[in-house]
Amino acid sequence: MEVTHLCFGASYFLALLGELGRQFRPEKGFRYLVIFSGCAGLLAHTIFLGVHQPSPAKPYGSLLLLTWVLAVFYLYGAVQKQPRPWALFILPLILIFVAISFAFFGEGASFGSWFSGESFWGQLHGILLELAAVGITLAFLASVMYLFQVQRLKKKKILSGRLKLLSLERLEIIQRRCLDISFPLLTAGVLIGGIRGVVEIFPKANWATPKIVGTVLLWIIVGLLVYLRHAANVSPKRLAFTTIIAFVLLFFAMVTAHPFVLEGK
Amino acid sequence: MNLVQLGCTFRTTPVEIREKLAFTEPQLEQALREITARFGWESAVLSTCNRVEVYAANPQGIRPDPYLLREYLAQFHNLDPEYLGQYLQIHQEADVVLHLFRVASSLDSLIVGEGQIAGQVRDAFEIALRVGSTGPMLNALFQYAQKAAKRVRTETGITEGHISVSSVAVDFVRQVFDRFSDKTVLVIGAGKMGRLTLKHLQELKPKQILITNRSPEKAQALAQEVHGQAVPFERLDDCLAQADIVLSTTGSPDPIMTEARYAPIRQKRGARTTVILDIAVPRDFDPNIHDGERTFVFNVDDLTAVREQTLAKRRSHLERAEHIIREEQRKFLEEWTRRKHGPTIARLTKFFDDRRQEILQELLARLNGKISEKERRDIEGAFRLFQNRLLHSPISALVESARDGTSNQLLESLKRLFQIGDEK
Repeated sequence: MEVTHLCFGASYFLALLGELGRQFRPEKGFRYLVIFSGCAGLLAHTIFLGVHQPSPAKPYGSLLLLTWVLAVFYLYGAVQKQPRPWALFILPLILIFVAISFAFFGEGASFGSWFSGESFWGQLHGILLELAAVGITLAFLASVMYLFQVQRLKKKKILSGRLKLLSLERLEIIQRRCLDISFPLLTAGVLIGGIRGVVEIFPKANWATPKIVGTVLLWIIVGLLVYLRHAANVSPKRLAFTTIIAFVLLFFAMVTAHPFVLEGK
Repeated sequence: MNLVQLGCTFRTTPVEIREKLAFTEPQLEQALREITARFGWESAVLSTCNRVEVYAANPQGIRPDPYLLREYLAQFHNLDPEYLGQYLQIHQEADVVLHLFRVASSLDSLIVGEGQIAGQVRDAFEIALRVGSTGPMLNALFQYAQKAAKRVRTETGITEGHISVSSVAVDFVRQVFDRFSDKTVLVIGAGKMGRLTLKHLQELKPKQILITNRSPEKAQALAQEVHGQAVPFERLDDCLAQADIVLSTTGSPDPIMTEARYAPIRQKRGARTTVILDIAVPRDFDPNIHDGERTFVFNVDDLTAVREQTLAKRRSHLERAEHIIREEQRKFLEEWTRRKHGPTIARLTKFFDDRRQEILQELLARLNGKISEKERRDIEGAFRLFQNRLLHSPISALVESARDGTSNQLLESLKRLFQIGDEK
């Protein structure tokens, strides 16, 4: 039987339902449901990636790889005894990414591309950008939770109940660390890609493609965020909004086609 | 079951009576020994500030008389039994089970979901166990009560959130800050309420505690008490610029901090977050200082509103909790009946086994040589199946009869119907 997007998508969806139930009714059944469906989803996801080896240069490939890392993060939270409210933020994102990667799946899917047809520098470029994407996505999730939490505190809303988020300080730290780690990875990835583009592949190619422009803008925004965070006295709320903009750019860069990767390579 | 509970709670009995009925631990041990010695019953006593309850059981004999218990309680505390009687409530048989399960799960508490009562029930049981006044009935009952309480606690949100204003205040602080080893707490004033909140804040182990008061002596005294540092009231603005958590509890008739006065302090603090717990009445801080981004001001009304919301939220779990309690009561009664009627069920089964064997042997002897081995096994299987189906209803009825308290009549009927006497 072939493992498809539906297998892990449905498992993650079931995990989301379980997490919702777990937040409001702390029964063991929900915990087992989220652990089981989370594990099943991750297993199916891993098999799918292993079998198809989708190219990270393709939108569906990069999204699926990013989603896989997010699913690992999610599963770490799912096995904990106390429900983690961030599961309710990460799972919808995972589901959206799975759905989008499925939408792109039909468009020129190239398989078996992980260990063939790509130079060391090409692979390194892809890995670095993918890791930077993980960091930016986690910073985005921390920012969304920060804004949610700050809104609750502004309105002095009830703090009891299941949906107890991390403190503002903790969310700020997560956001900062993720960006601090992502920036050098992104810089190295962009540099390798740029040098490779100039030297090896298409010296005369069109550089004004959406993916390249989006990635460069993303690099500028993330750099700006790191600078603002460390060097300037900017409110964390604004930084959270800027991180969301960075994530939108990341998403844009991920779903646009890579200009230097030809079909099947 | 022969189970009785007699007692009073805050719902029906004024505190003047409850305090007269309360037991100290030595008194409690004495009472348990006396009840067991005098009446020969199993007994346990739950004595808290909100209730005094005596549980008595006599599974092998006649049901404990609640009026004898009342007499005993009155005698123990030198009270008039008739006068005491108007305050005491009596529960019997399955109602006792339900009552204890509700008590242990804090459904019968003054504040629904409070965490103390489960421990108090456990303590009452442990004391009775130590004294040796419990037996199979109360041992099983209290163990099931703890199990029921645990289920209610873990499967519903009935214990969630904090109820006291000082705990709610600290909850707010925890929603903003994660680490406290680098935080400065500033206490303004030295009100009673403030001390309680400060005690909670102290548990967070902040880097330093600054205390300021219009009266330097009071500031100094409190500083010594909490290992803090007293600072002159004139340096209030400097201290505010330094403090991450502010606890204000002065008795000042006017606000001590207006929005205009706070503006330069905000400027000095820059990007650092400040939480101000203004639990003074009238308020010490202008509510407009709260910007919901860098400065959070929570006053008594905010904290009380959260407390009320928490209580309402807890109450919303009551239905589910009651359902769990009923479920656990049913399980307990079934388990107890199974344990109690086990020998009867065994004799009933043996009675049917013997009859089946008699008829089957006779039939098989007549058919000897005319049927195959497989047919012989089929016939034996059919008889066994018939017997099981026949016994299913009376055994189920016996187990379920515990719920409506008719198990004794049913047991007698079964004994007479099938001529199965008592075990010798």
